[in-house]
Amino acid sequence: MIVIKSKKVRTVLKISIPFAAIPLLVLLGAVAFPQKQHLLVSFGVAVLAVLLFLTGFERKIVGSRRMVIVAVMTALCIAGRFIPLFKPVTTLTILTAMYLGGEAGFLVGALAALLSNFYFGQGPWTPFQMLAWGMIGLLAGFLAKPLKKSRAFLLVFGVLSGAVFSFIMDIWTILWYNGSFQLERYLPVLVTAIPHTVMYAVSNFLFLWMFAKPFGEKLERVKVKYGV
Amino acid sequence: MRTIAEYNPFAVTVYFLAVAGTTMFSMNPVILVLSLAGALSYFFVRNGFREMKSHLAFFLMFLFMALLNPLISHNGVTVLFVMNNNPVTLEALVYGIAAAAMILAVLYWFRSYSQIMTSDKLLYVFGVLSPRLALILSMAIRYVPLFGSQVKKVNQAQKALGLYKEDNLVDSFRGGVRVFSVMVTWALENGIITADSMTARGYGSGKRSHYSTFCFRRGDWILMGISCVLLIVTWIGLGDFTFNYYPALKVSALQKTGLIGCISYGLLAFLPVIIEEKETLKWNCLQSKI
Repeated sequence: MIVIKSKKVRTVLKISIPFAAIPLLVLLGAVAFPQKQHLLVSFGVAVLAVLLFLTGFERKIVGSRRMVIVAVMTALCIAGRFIPLFKPVTTLTILTAMYLGGEAGFLVGALAALLSNFYFGQGPWTPFQMLAWGMIGLLAGFLAKPLKKSRAFLLVFGVLSGAVFSFIMDIWTILWYNGSFQLERYLPVLVTAIPHTVMYAVSNFLFLWMFAKPFGEKLERVKVKYGV
Repeated sequence: MRTIAEYNPFAVTVYFLAVAGTTMFSMNPVILVLSLAGALSYFFVRNGFREMKSHLAFFLMFLFMALLNPLISHNGVTVLFVMNNNPVTLEALVYGIAAAAMILAVLYWFRSYSQIMTSDKLLYVFGVLSPRLALILSMAIRYVPLFGSQVKKVNQAQKALGLYKEDNLVDSFRGGVRVFSVMVTWALENGIITADSMTARGYGSGKRSHYSTFCFRRGDWILMGISCVLLIVTWIGLGDFTFNYYPALKVSALQKTGLIGCISYGLLAFLPVIIEEKETLKWNCLQSKI
């Protein structure tokens, strides 16, 4: 990876790659190629994006303390996925991103998806899960200030990210089954996935409601005490 | 000679990406049948016919996905019957079965792959890509059982202190939250201690390298080479052997190239079974001679 020196250029790249370049590539792939290629394009984009982010962000996690904290949070996420029904992964990713920055959030989300799938079943959906959770972390990092300030906003963000995670994974289901994206297919899948979507949203709401404050205080304390 | 699991993880990953990737991006029924047969037979060769219940779940999922398509999609010209004013077509049914077979085959390939890729092999593959990432991954993997045992200790201490009863739902829930809170503090502090200890021992003072016990042997290069050659031959061969589902089922005439493509994919799909079975045969032959 080339290390970009100018901070401004880095920020522009950081924002433009996930939110502009990837959707653009997907759209281009959808227009330029016939049917079955959507899957190929989306798969390639997901794998490339995850690799790009991981190698790029990994360089930014400087200092052994910060790195270990990322590992600790990832391990907590993996352990949390064993809780039946309620999954705290998104909550922990958001909290990490809020207090340690978007890069750490992306790493925790993506690595938790990668590692926990070794317990829950690895598959071609892994890059999509990594990307979805990582992006939630990245976004929470950008919105850290308002998220810390307003609890209502935090809860809304949690519910929305739970729903969006489910929607993204449904798009992937359709692509896999069908090879291309069709709205009339997407809607029935969304309907069948309602229990999952609701579960994600509810567990995010509950976990954020319970843990946001105590967890935030702990992370803040570690940050202040040890200068992570 | 070795079984597939004993090959270099990189070579194994290349093989599985080749075989599962072709299945994922191809809807050709010949490929799907070969892939499904290869995936299933390899899984059974590895695991025997145990835990048939999990296979039942996969079979039910297959049925569900196969029958879902004709109910949603009404493309196709051959109408089988009409349900709720919507035609159920043969083409949609065939497409549903093909898509379900594709998904099932990929799932079984990845089941075998997950069994083979233990965490040390994963760390090896990632260590080549980025040593630092591999370090984070290995720490996270180690923390999961560590947290588990620590949760047990904290739980026992709290119970001994008489902080909560187990037969009360509200009480045990509040106890669980308290244990979790203790755990998070402990995990973070413990992590800082680990980090300081790492720094004291010189972490970060030089370029990080990655130790692994795996090396590339001749067989690994051969496995990788065979996978790549068969993959390329398959894709070239299948270029003009196409299968259309909509609007009507249509198979293009099977040319020589198409046949070669199918044969090479068949070899690719049954490669692990061939490797494993060759070992068993050899073992039995040598045993009977002694």
